[in-house]
Amino acid sequence: MSYFFQLVVSGIVVGSIYALSGLGFVLIYKSSRVLNVAHGQIIASGCFITYSLTVWAGIPIYISFLMSMVITFFLAMSVERIFLRRLIGEPIISVIMVTIGLMSIIDGIIYLTPFGSENYSFPEFFPQTPISVGDVSISWTQLVGVIITAVLISGFSWFFKKSTVGISMRAVSDDQLASMSIGVSVPRVFGLAWATAGLTAAAAGGILGNITGLNFDVLQSFGIIVFPVVILGGLDSILGAVVAGVLMGLIQQFAAGYLDGNWGLNGTAEVLPYILLLVILLFKPHGLFGIHEIERV
Amino acid sequence: MSANRWLTTGNYFTSYQDEQRIFSTRLDKLIFIGFIVCLFAWPLLIKLSNRNMLVLDTILIAIVAVLGLNLLTGFAGLISIGHAAFVGVGAYTVASIIRLIGDDHVLVTHAWPLVIIVAGLVGAVVGAFVGLPALRLRHLYLLMATLSFQIIFQWIINFSTFFNQGQTISVGRVFWFTGKIVRKQHYVFWYYVILVAIVLLGLGVRNLLRTRYGRSLVAVRDNDRAADAMGMHPGLTKVYAFGLAGFLAGIAGALHAYLYRGVGFESFTLHHSIVYLAMAIVGGMGTLSGSFWGPAAIQFLELRVEDLAEKAGHYFPSNMNLSTALRPLTFGLVIVLFLMFEPRGIANWWRIVRSYVKLWPFRY
Repeated sequence: MSYFFQLVVSGIVVGSIYALSGLGFVLIYKSSRVLNVAHGQIIASGCFITYSLTVWAGIPIYISFLMSMVITFFLAMSVERIFLRRLIGEPIISVIMVTIGLMSIIDGIIYLTPFGSENYSFPEFFPQTPISVGDVSISWTQLVGVIITAVLISGFSWFFKKSTVGISMRAVSDDQLASMSIGVSVPRVFGLAWATAGLTAAAAGGILGNITGLNFDVLQSFGIIVFPVVILGGLDSILGAVVAGVLMGLIQQFAAGYLDGNWGLNGTAEVLPYILLLVILLFKPHGLFGIHEIERV
Repeated sequence: MSANRWLTTGNYFTSYQDEQRIFSTRLDKLIFIGFIVCLFAWPLLIKLSNRNMLVLDTILIAIVAVLGLNLLTGFAGLISIGHAAFVGVGAYTVASIIRLIGDDHVLVTHAWPLVIIVAGLVGAVVGAFVGLPALRLRHLYLLMATLSFQIIFQWIINFSTFFNQGQTISVGRVFWFTGKIVRKQHYVFWYYVILVAIVLLGLGVRNLLRTRYGRSLVAVRDNDRAADAMGMHPGLTKVYAFGLAGFLAGIAGALHAYLYRGVGFESFTLHHSIVYLAMAIVGGMGTLSGSFWGPAAIQFLELRVEDLAEKAGHYFPSNMNLSTALRPLTFGLVIVLFLMFEPRGIANWWRIVRSYVKLWPFRY
């Protein structure tokens, strides 16, 4: 039984990071209907920026974590400004392909840095001894990661519900023309959506880097799992992204814990989300919390 | 049409039949046939080294694959970032036949055209299966379906012992009427095979696009509700597009397996899917000639990038693999720049040049 609870704990840890990265993805989709294929790469670069600030520049982790969020905020904003601003009004299919191109470009840039070929890991910031309750244990890094994620997610929920900028973002996602007519600058909202997505991605990357270490392949595959997460939750629901993120973390941990090694299966945690994605697409395409648009074909 | 197409300033078709012809004049047909004859004849006169011949064959195989992707993305408007996996399905069909009956079985060495066609059919079935969500969903979600297929494919290949866990499965040399194809003739022989495949498939696709089924692809891309109202079934049309793309990709995969005499996992990764997409975009989405320009241009670019990486490698630390960095960078840049500045691809340059010549000395 303690094995089960251990899997639940680590599932929640991984899942909360999925939730945070899914949040950024949903933000972009909600405001501008663009599927950002490059989201995983933005997460990875957030992680690498945090590392280089902390270890190479010697800035304390608390400050460098915030700094990397600010840097990625502006990076993502400029990506939107340079590549996507001029594609407003083009067919959505070419905008999505631009993000596929962006994914490739960021990959190339990361391969040019030392992070592309070598593995690094953050120094330990917290006590090494894990906290144990009965037989279940959780390391300090994981605990702090979950707490930061929870704080960030609740902060963003507040931001979308109450603040003026958040409300204007929701307005744009609801109806662009109507929000334009009451004086919301739609391009600015698009930029802000990308910027906030970059910010959450950097946070997710920073936490993830502390937990799993910095291996580009791992971070990349982590980034692609955002797709099954947001599809499970419903593409345009922030609550859905959070719930589905935690669910996906649990599913992966259970798959790794119970399926691997039995019946000749291996690495099921990597593939199960995608099988699930195909099944959801076939039977419940709008996910758990997505809006049921009448878009049947 | 008897008037010279190069001198007229507009379309003067008087019947739909005229407009739908593949070759609008007899001269066009003659030029086309002459061109094909030249393609078949030049290897008899000029002997290329094996290395150059291999590059040429690779381009031709990519053309077959991109024909499929162009049908799917350009004509039916469904983005696929799993096209390399569809190609892989074809290659691994050949590989599994070999695993089952051995690599010198008469079926593999003598009846290889049959094997290639079977690989295409398997590709079509798998493609249609992956496209099944199209019965309910629009293109955004289908991108996800193809992506997840890519990942599932990689996982299956990497973890099953039947497929040698992604290690190379070797394919035997084939026989022709003249006997066994030895190393010296290998690349030239496959050049001819692939060329025949391209001519047949290219004409097939060109013909398909003027039939009812081909035009319904374009109609569904442009407006699926209107297409629905006119009596087409958008969902089935999309599944059918996936099936066609899978067929072409499967054939490309089988040819790839025979040409390289082996099937390995590393030729069918997500990176290759993006390269195929780059080929389709650079060539020109939704134009048939684009599927020929794109692979040639991208392959040329890839060779240049490798040269550059080799030269620049001296100035960088040795632990850094420059070509793994430069390749995604260039392909990404090419995709983004073409989409931003020339969304209709290289095929459009030809149109620009032609209208310039036609209208000279006037601008328009």
